Amino acid sequence: MATFASSSTYSGVYVVFMVNRLQILFTILILPMYLVHSYMIWGIIAIGILSQLNLLILSKWFSSDFAAKGYNGFVELFGERTVRLFVIAGLFPILLNIVVNTLGYVQMVHTFIFPSMDNKWLILSIFLVGCYVAAKGMANTIRFVMIAFLSGAWIILLFLPLFFPPEASLYDLYPLVPTDWSIGPWKSWLALWSSFSGPEYLICLTTWLSPQQKIRKYLTLANAITVFEYVYLFVASLLFFGPHYLNAINFPVVHMGRYLQSPVIERIDTILLSIHMFNYVFAIAILLLCFYGAVRIILGRLHKQTTRTGYVSACLVILICMFIVDKWFWNATARENFWVTLQMWLGAFTYSLIPVFLLLAIKRKGAV
Amino acid sequence: MVHRKRAVLLAFFFSIVLTTGCSPFVENNTIEEIAPVTFWYVSSGGEGKLKISTLVPPLVKEKKRLLTLQVELVKQGIKQFNLINYRELKAGQTRMLLISEELAKQGVISLINTLLTDPELSQRLYLAVVRGNFEDYIRNQLNAQPSLDYFLYAMLKHYEKHYQGEMTIVNLHQFMKKLYSRFSDPILPVFKANKSSFTYEGTAFFRNDKLAATIKTMDDQLFQLFDNDYYVKILAMPALSVTIGRVRSTVHMELDANYSSLSIKIDLSGRIEEYRGEKNILYPEEVANLTNEIKSYLEKNTKALFKKMQQEKVDPLQVGNLSLHPFAKPLKKEEWSRYWQQMKINVDYQLHLQPLINIKK
Repeated sequence: MATFASSSTYSGVYVVFMVNRLQILFTILILPMYLVHSYMIWGIIAIGILSQLNLLILSKWFSSDFAAKGYNGFVELFGERTVRLFVIAGLFPILLNIVVNTLGYVQMVHTFIFPSMDNKWLILSIFLVGCYVAAKGMANTIRFVMIAFLSGAWIILLFLPLFFPPEASLYDLYPLVPTDWSIGPWKSWLALWSSFSGPEYLICLTTWLSPQQKIRKYLTLANAITVFEYVYLFVASLLFFGPHYLNAINFPVVHMGRYLQSPVIERIDTILLSIHMFNYVFAIAILLLCFYGAVRIILGRLHKQTTRTGYVSACLVILICMFIVDKWFWNATARENFWVTLQMWLGAFTYSLIPVFLLLAIKRKGAV
Repeated sequence: MVHRKRAVLLAFFFSIVLTTGCSPFVENNTIEEIAPVTFWYVSSGGEGKLKISTLVPPLVKEKKRLLTLQVELVKQGIKQFNLINYRELKAGQTRMLLISEELAKQGVISLINTLLTDPELSQRLYLAVVRGNFEDYIRNQLNAQPSLDYFLYAMLKHYEKHYQGEMTIVNLHQFMKKLYSRFSDPILPVFKANKSSFTYEGTAFFRNDKLAATIKTMDDQLFQLFDNDYYVKILAMPALSVTIGRVRSTVHMELDANYSSLSIKIDLSGRIEEYRGEKNILYPEEVANLTNEIKSYLEKNTKALFKKMQQEKVDPLQVGNLSLHPFAKPLKKEEWSRYWQQMKINVDYQLHLQPLINIKK
């Protein structure tokens, strides 16, 4: 298996799609319920700008010489032993990301499409699809983002009718500014910042991305698309539910989908939710490859040929983790779910730290 | 060798999965064997119990029956229906929930929450209040009109499409949105049922989740002009022996700064379609007289309608939203309620009526 062969590099449009799809995952479906107040529209934009600054820092890393060398670049920067330590530390966020996103999606499918089905089947089926994509190798997985983006991005257009009366009234957006001196609960800001995380995983893929100066442009574009999608969906859900009702709803975006109607089929939401799976499959596949690669680095097998046994055992470990979390530790309400909160903290943490850390490392190396 | 190994591994893997759980699908949805429910009628069954009824089978060409059960819980009722009917009832196609007036007065929130949390049910489920004995009506009409449940649904759907002002149509989502919103109160249509007829009666105002008041005929027509699509097809005023048709309204409401008065300006355009009074409306001055009479009549009735809302402490027209401002702190619900009850209402109608033409007097 030539899982990690890097025969070709991919153009900027792949970077745009990857960053965008990694940012939008589980969060896009639940974000509005964390924001609630209409002044958080400005919150999204502010955090989007902050995320943009963060991406500028990250792009410094990509335009340095170390990035193009991939793993060897990291070794040059930190030394092999330290890199291995970092990779061990990185295993947990990757694992958590896969587990939380898959289980979150599975929970939604379970709630809205197959309420009587055992969760294990759903987990297994979506994860197997992810494994299949990942088994095609990194190059193909990156190519898969095109499908993930094109099949998912247009869905938000369906919500356009919700912006107009009789469903919408402008008064649901008022007041547009915070009227007392609070800026809302910390959790909404945490949810918001973590919903922009995801691009930091690109540092694992540097070998496949063509070394270029223009990456900053692509990152900016991807971030802008994300900001637009968040603002759009948040405003749509505010207009549709009104702030008080929104506060009481668990999966606002899916509920909006349920309200759509078509003359052909009745429950469009089931189809939309299924199409959204491509996004998850992509994320699972790419994170799975990161996980597998990380394990290989830790075991010092980086320069050996990848084996099927190794790959399957990496998949099995993740699958077992998912089953365990699902069976004993998963709380059905997203608002109080420990794992979702932990994933938010960890996502926010990795997204804020990794770019700065890499920049400092380059600066230090440059000074020496 | 490799192949055999792989096969063994796969078999092993699937047997693990199969031993941990049973088959993934446990629901039988074979269309020939089920009875999709189209409506529930829920009334109070005394002693805190609920009485729920539905008509089965809704689709197949078989003799229809009305099933009724006394239960403590809605879902318990749905389960018990399966025990007294030979087809399994499925709720996924439910289109209407009819609530009896007595139950609506006691509060409907627990009932509606049950439906809302069921992802099988559409958010577009129509809600309505029924006054009188709906079961009697169904029993009596079943022979004459076997698919009356479908006709009822088709009627609601027809009038919903453009909110054309014939009747109030409310679905589950609209009800909940108004229920949760800061100022406004939900509304529902009211139908009156007896042995032989089922008629649209008017609009019910809810205070929180409890039915507070019902408006009929003239009041309801005026209410349609203020809500819905600002249109009624026929505005009949028997007191003045006149009917205005194709009435479009442009409503402009303004609150004053300290919430003590509300001035409403309404532009009404339409045409006089019928006149059976004494005036000779071929003469312009007589038409002007009539127009003035209509104007004061409408103003009087509108004031009375608003008075009624204030007395009942309900705000179904969402007047409270006018107090919202992009850059100001919103009022509390109680504050608004206090202002609303004491508010002075000024109504001013501007009529643009086309007179009757081609008539002989």
